[in-house]
Amino acid sequence: MRRFFSQNSLSLAFGALFLATLVAQALSGLADFNDQRVTDGLQQISLLRYVTSATFGVDVMENWQSEYLQFFLYIFGTVWLIQLGSSESKKPGETGTETDKEQKVGNYALNDSPAWVHAGGWRTSLYSRSLGLLMGALFLLTWAASSVSGWAAFNSEQLMNHEDPITWLGYLGQGDFWSRTFQNWQSEMLAVGSMAIFSVYLRQRGSPESKPVGAPHATTGQTG
Amino acid sequence: MRQVRAIYVAYLVVILVGVVYCTALGLLGR
Repeated sequence: MRRFFSQNSLSLAFGALFLATLVAQALSGLADFNDQRVTDGLQQISLLRYVTSATFGVDVMENWQSEYLQFFLYIFGTVWLIQLGSSESKKPGETGTETDKEQKVGNYALNDSPAWVHAGGWRTSLYSRSLGLLMGALFLLTWAASSVSGWAAFNSEQLMNHEDPITWLGYLGQGDFWSRTFQNWQSEMLAVGSMAIFSVYLRQRGSPESKPVGAPHATTGQTG
Repeated sequence: MRQVRAIYVAYLVVILVGVVYCTALGLLGR
């Protein structure tokens, strides 16, 4: 059991942190929501009612979608885009999808390579892009979920203000949807760009996200 | 690797359950 935790501590620790912060979001979101209800002269709602509301749903999904967009763009972008000196980047001249030998596919597959590497054809082609494609699919799914829950939350507000509800397509043209979208996207783009450039000059000893402490600034694509 | 795969599947399930749940909240107009 101890070995299970030590060998999987990265995904388990972040999974636990995810659950803890999701609970924290629900509790603080409820407090904020009820503050607004009191201001509006309305009755406060319970935690159960809050976590089963579209307001909670859109607040969760609008953040998920931007994270998966970030990873989708980063995974595909780093195939082609370079940052000289960054641990996050391939070396200049290595852009593109690389050779079969470098990627250990086709005649260069290893005995213990994944089954779809040996399968060839569309399966190898699909498997060769599966990480980015999954991130892209999760981005589209979470963005769609954010639009549907945001639409319902928006209509709740409309009804409270004695205004007519709108259709889902109508919501896609609303500033509320795009404001929620862009406020999350901009932060992800800044975080990715700053990580790429900061790792040129700064180090974190022992982290695979950093170059070795003594690596020259001009060294690209090396992790320590 | 069986345990690693279990974590991989658990992540996928949590994400998909979250997507379905939040979409349902919207469709039900909660």
